[in-house]
Amino acid sequence: MTGVGYSDLLAALAPETALVLAAVAVLFVDMGLMRSAPLRQRFLTACAVAGLGCLVTLGILASSGAHLRFLDGVLVVDSLTQWVKVFLVVLTLFTAGISAQAEFTEHVGEYFALVLLATVGMMFLVSTEEILMIFVSLELTSLSLYVLAALDKRTRHASEAALKYFLFGSVAAAFTLFGLSLVYGLSGATNLTGIAAGLRAHRSDPLLAVAVVMVIMGFGFKVAVVPFHLWAPDAYEGAPVPAAALIASGSKVASFFVLAKIAVLGFAGVEGSGAWGQLRAGWLPVLAVLAVGSMVLGNLTAIAQGHLRRLLAYSAIAHAGYVLLGLMAMGYPSQRSAALAAVLYYVATYGLTTVGAFGVASVIERVLGNGRIDALAGLSRRSPLLALCLMVFLLSLAGIPPLAGFFGKFGLFTAAMGADPAGLGLLWLVGIAIAMSTVSLYYYLRVLKQAYVVAGDEEASRIVVPWTDRLVLIAAAVGVFLLGALPELLLGPLARAIAGGNGF
Amino acid sequence: MGELARYLVLAALLFGIGLAGVLTRRNAIVVLIGIELMLNAANLNFIAFWRHGPHPEALTGVMFVLFAIAIAAAEAAVGLALVIAVYRHYRTTNLDQIEEMKG
Repeated sequence: MTGVGYSDLLAALAPETALVLAAVAVLFVDMGLMRSAPLRQRFLTACAVAGLGCLVTLGILASSGAHLRFLDGVLVVDSLTQWVKVFLVVLTLFTAGISAQAEFTEHVGEYFALVLLATVGMMFLVSTEEILMIFVSLELTSLSLYVLAALDKRTRHASEAALKYFLFGSVAAAFTLFGLSLVYGLSGATNLTGIAAGLRAHRSDPLLAVAVVMVIMGFGFKVAVVPFHLWAPDAYEGAPVPAAALIASGSKVASFFVLAKIAVLGFAGVEGSGAWGQLRAGWLPVLAVLAVGSMVLGNLTAIAQGHLRRLLAYSAIAHAGYVLLGLMAMGYPSQRSAALAAVLYYVATYGLTTVGAFGVASVIERVLGNGRIDALAGLSRRSPLLALCLMVFLLSLAGIPPLAGFFGKFGLFTAAMGADPAGLGLLWLVGIAIAMSTVSLYYYLRVLKQAYVVAGDEEASRIVVPWTDRLVLIAAAVGVFLLGALPELLLGPLARAIAGGNGF
Repeated sequence: MGELARYLVLAALLFGIGLAGVLTRRNAIVVLIGIELMLNAANLNFIAFWRHGPHPEALTGVMFVLFAIAIAAAEAAVGLALVIAVYRHYRTTNLDQIEEMKG
């Protein structure tokens, strides 16, 4: 494309560049200057450098009004992608914050560099509409996350979790690549709009059905929906807590955004129908099946969990099911903008809540030595702050007003209800979702009961929460409360960004 | 059967063999080999579609495959490193014996 010079590209990619430079700086500072310092100081210093890099990136994102569409969608930068990148960088900042007091590895520089590189991968993932770039940035994210999950070399469980995450992930990547190769072959294009145009002639081709299912399988793994969720509980439980937080938050936000882009832009015209009684082949019924499975299995299995992070994993599977409802609503053009705003609001607030919940888990596991729910007994007396934050996060996940989770679900469900112009076609899914949300309240309250009602050991000392964790937890809790009480703070700018974009 | 169809059948067979290896073998390294087979089946698809597509002069398929090969190499490196990390703790690469977390 003419008219795009290196300086334009650099301006559009300034946030990613800043994060890569921060990753290099972390490596340099940790391995050069801090090599002989004690582990605690190395973690604090590296966290400060990484955090500074994130803040600079946020500054660039807020100040730049870059608009670019390079090579038919290889690189797309507009105000919507900038917003999603803001979410990603904020989540990375919080992840770095809850790693500041960690001591699980001696590879401090590599740890923070990988966190930043994974974020760069996610940022490229949201900034492209071309399948080669999507695949490359997806793998940049995934490979960084596999290594992050394995960085805790002291415990067997971290390596087991990482191996499972890797094996499931790379099989999913192979499915994605095979699906993308069929998509390329059928449409002759690699950018999403070209693919949609090319697929129009092949609507009833069985090969297209295989391609759609394989691509959705690959991304279904990334966002952990049933039946591609088997890695999630082990990875969430075994990986180091901050790494699990990033896997659960940032990578979900980016994957949902790109899955929506592929489905809505790339598979336009092969939606089919997911309405009750009139299922028609396409990607909507595929998502409907995945959504029902995730909501039912995720919520019901979560009831039986005894480990806090495992419970969060099954709740994450359930939440992925709710988000799929929003994605399905995006398949109906009349609801597209509203549904996209609802999905983005939901994944952003969900990511924030999850990072907060993992932050609480990280402090508790450091002090108590294990993350079982029974161990939470008497938490409200040992640390009122931790118990209060845990309550805010879990109630938001359950969807209690005025917390962000309530408005997130409200937006998703109304978008899905209004989606089908011919009637309430998706009502059956919304009904399942609401029924299953009620179930979810039970297991969230069970955790809170341990923390607030069950009397713990009377002799147990107070838990001292380090200032870095306190900062992150309070910021996340205030964010969850504010975004829930004043959803317009986020929904307003999102709606404007969507309206100003290319219809996506 | 045209030439393109023959390539596609071969690629689908390769993918199926790789997937069968992933699902039935219990040795982590053999599973890795299966994954590599699946990735290479996709590469074969790309090359076949590019060669017999309407625009063989555009080199899109070749570009895609070059990137995919590099990514597969990176994936193999990470995968073998993880297998070594697991072996240090469990003294085995048998996936059935690396199964302590359940629920």
